[in-house]
Amino acid sequence: MLIKFVIKRLILLIPVLLGITIMLFALSRAMPGDPARMMLNPDMRPELMEAALQSMRERLGLDQPIVVQYFRWLYNYFVLGDFGHSSLFNRPVNDVIGEPLRNTIILNATINVIYLIIALPIGIKMAVKRGSLFDNSWQVFSLAAFSVPAFFLGLSLIFIFSINLGWFPIGGMPNRALLQGTEYTLQWVRTLVLPATTLIIISLAGAIRYTRNAMIDALSQDYIRTARSKGLSEKVVIYSHAFRNALIPISTIIVGVVFSLFAGAAVTEMVFGYNGIGRMIVAAVQGRDRNLIISMQLFFSMVSVTAMLVADIVYGLIDPRIKLK
Amino acid sequence: MSDNNSTGKKVGKSFLSMFKRLFVRDKIEKNILEEEAMRTPMKAVMHRFIRNKMAIIGFSLFVAIFLFSFVGSLLNPLDRALDLTNTNIRPSRNFLRYPRELADLNIVKIISGVSFSAALTDDGNIHVWGAEPNREMEGISQFMLQVPEEIQEAHIVDIAAGTRFILAVDDEGNFYGWGHVAHGQAEITSDMRRMMSINRTEKIVQVLAGTTWAAVLGDNGFLYLWGSIQATSTFVIPTAAQGRIVYVAAGHHNMILLLDDGTVMPMGDRGTEFFLNVPPELQDGSVRIVEVAVTNRNVLARDDTGQLHLWGSVIDGLNSFPEDMVPDNVVDIASAYNNFVAVKDTGEVFVWGSNTLGQLNLPRNINQAGVTQVFADAFQFYAVNADGDIVETWGNRGYIFGSDQWGRDIFTRIMHGGRVSLTVGIIGVIIATLIAIIIGLSSGYFGGWLDHALMRLADIFDAIPFLPLAITLSFVLGDNLNEAERMYFIMIVLGVLSWTGLARLIRAQLLLEREKDFVLAAKALGIKQRSIMTKHILPHVFNFVIVSVTLQYASFILTEAALSFLGFGIQEPTPSWGNMLDGAQDSIVLRYFWWRWIIPALFVVAAALSINMIGDALRDAMDPKAEER
Repeated sequence: MLIKFVIKRLILLIPVLLGITIMLFALSRAMPGDPARMMLNPDMRPELMEAALQSMRERLGLDQPIVVQYFRWLYNYFVLGDFGHSSLFNRPVNDVIGEPLRNTIILNATINVIYLIIALPIGIKMAVKRGSLFDNSWQVFSLAAFSVPAFFLGLSLIFIFSINLGWFPIGGMPNRALLQGTEYTLQWVRTLVLPATTLIIISLAGAIRYTRNAMIDALSQDYIRTARSKGLSEKVVIYSHAFRNALIPISTIIVGVVFSLFAGAAVTEMVFGYNGIGRMIVAAVQGRDRNLIISMQLFFSMVSVTAMLVADIVYGLIDPRIKLK
Repeated sequence: MSDNNSTGKKVGKSFLSMFKRLFVRDKIEKNILEEEAMRTPMKAVMHRFIRNKMAIIGFSLFVAIFLFSFVGSLLNPLDRALDLTNTNIRPSRNFLRYPRELADLNIVKIISGVSFSAALTDDGNIHVWGAEPNREMEGISQFMLQVPEEIQEAHIVDIAAGTRFILAVDDEGNFYGWGHVAHGQAEITSDMRRMMSINRTEKIVQVLAGTTWAAVLGDNGFLYLWGSIQATSTFVIPTAAQGRIVYVAAGHHNMILLLDDGTVMPMGDRGTEFFLNVPPELQDGSVRIVEVAVTNRNVLARDDTGQLHLWGSVIDGLNSFPEDMVPDNVVDIASAYNNFVAVKDTGEVFVWGSNTLGQLNLPRNINQAGVTQVFADAFQFYAVNADGDIVETWGNRGYIFGSDQWGRDIFTRIMHGGRVSLTVGIIGVIIATLIAIIIGLSSGYFGGWLDHALMRLADIFDAIPFLPLAITLSFVLGDNLNEAERMYFIMIVLGVLSWTGLARLIRAQLLLEREKDFVLAAKALGIKQRSIMTKHILPHVFNFVIVSVTLQYASFILTEAALSFLGFGIQEPTPSWGNMLDGAQDSIVLRYFWWRWIIPALFVVAAALSINMIGDALRDAMDPKAEER
């Protein structure tokens, strides 16, 4: 049953993947500048330039029909795993992406663990003590955190904790050449604190709201009344009956957040000079590096397509009602 | 009818009384039937909305920000002229607020820099007021407003202000300087000391200061100048004048030397009207000049009969007298950065030149105040009477939100930026909503393959993350756009990339409502499909649209700010709250010029917060189940 469900989902993905790749291919062709000319030495003598351009176009396959170009492009990316040459770093894109990707994964892992530990208990308590001071103050917090741009929060944290108190570095990454062993690790932790705090506060706003509403929905169900009338303790009612059911909608939002942080962290990474993939794409656009831009876009899209798929499957796994449909 | 009854009917009146409800809780209860009879669903929503305190706070805040941005930007035109004199000045309105103790003292001279003024009193003391000009780097400069201790003990005879520093000389010939003196203006160089001993200059009678240079005039008519290389190469002191100079008036890159025979000699930028158009009678000795004042391009001179002579550039109308002024019987002249002032023997005061910072806004009663002398410098003006007391002040009072890296007033830029940010946001929302309504409705209404296709389209748009795509699009398509086109482009990008959520919501709601019992009942009554749609189903969907529009508006304001902050949004010189913040990526701005990022960001937060509050309240008001929550 589950396998059938997954296969159905995968089939639905095909038009989406096609659409994304066509859009990105169009985007890469619409970018200003001639890719063949960019590969050549601009100081070349004009009479040689024409011939060189011609052969470069042939080498890049730019002389072929656009449909052929598209499939060649697909073949390069998905079969060969060759993302082209980054003009900004003057290295293959595959080599450039590695370190930022690792850094972003480290940042995201930290955030997700911490914010779930915080958000779930708060959301549950808010739902249970609906209308209390606790509930209201976290509601206000969530409203405020929704209204603060990530970069302002980040800048304020830098202003207070890095500039005025000097507890954390203002920005940038720990240098492996200068620091060793535990010192390097310690510097890593110090580098992570402020960007992680920023992202946790921003993502917390949505998460506690969502948990609260899911819990309230669960708590207003008939089976909760039944459980209470059976004389079960409130603890058992909340955690065993209500929370388990609330987990179904919560789990999907968690998957969504985990993946959306990859792309959504661009601003935060910029503010803190954190060498992640969000900052990388901003650098790629500023440096007009077409291959890097498209590769990053493709990467982000694949991540979110995977997220959509995982969310669907998780939903199917947790909620038996969906599997049966 | 009770009070409450009319509230239900007149929405306008209810908004007036909603403020009252913020503080007073009215407890008039009605029976259910009465309430039922008077309320339509829309009125009920309205009623619930205005009873929500959060809604009223949010609504008032938003109206305040809206009026501030839209009405404020109409009243205060955006100054596009760049002036690099007043850059990065901290928020203050104290520029003209002189200390009280000056009333008991006799003022000899008042000088001003970009944000501060200093008075020299006849007891040889200096009093400084205004705002601290920025410290561009730690350690480079001292606090301006704090007069150094050794000066407090000395008997000062002359002072001068550069844009961000003060120079002073005492009766023993000691020289002092403090503030932003990175070009060595604070000390007389050893070269100059040597020159002074060669020329046998024993006492200093006048001090002069520019942006990057300092100069002193000796008692035997010799002028000495030092400072930045640019300044020292601009000013070549003519040897013919040395030893004959009695007074000097200086702009930032030019000077007029007043010689002992009453003639004048220009110095500095050659080839300008300032240099070339000196009236011949002022140089051949037929007119005897007693006082000169200069701006950066113009000269005003007063002769011994009280007649005025004027020449220089036409910019700011400085080369002609005001229409209502007859240039004779003048007792005092003065010059500010781009203005001239003249005081007549009747006590009438005339000021002309640029009016960017209120330099021409003379106090109303100034002509009756017995003014005998006006001290003008930079952008500040102080009128003094015969007793040596300040009677009136005008000019630049300060920037309430500070100034930016181009010397522009952040307060007016916030207004104009607010207009841009709020407009871009709302148009973006309208575009997104229209797309969402068309796609959501056709998907939900027609169903079948169209539904499938449109939902897959939504999947595609959802799969490509917003921010990376928006900045890529801004690079691909926005590269050749001008300022205004770029603004429309951002609206379209925001709209076209963000319709999916609402479209899905509309479709789902449509499908949900279609299955409801009241639709079945309507069908059974034989009502046409179309009127079931428009009269029974769409109003329910409409509620969701309203809430979504509001919440999305807030998020668009944040998104525009983020895009502009990264440099991919609205471009300078058009202000938006986002691009006013982009300097904050510089750690010096972050550290020292806090007003340049905190203030615009606070406006973004206030706008988003107020709209979110309205949106939340609307959702609660429209969802009857919300009261259970």
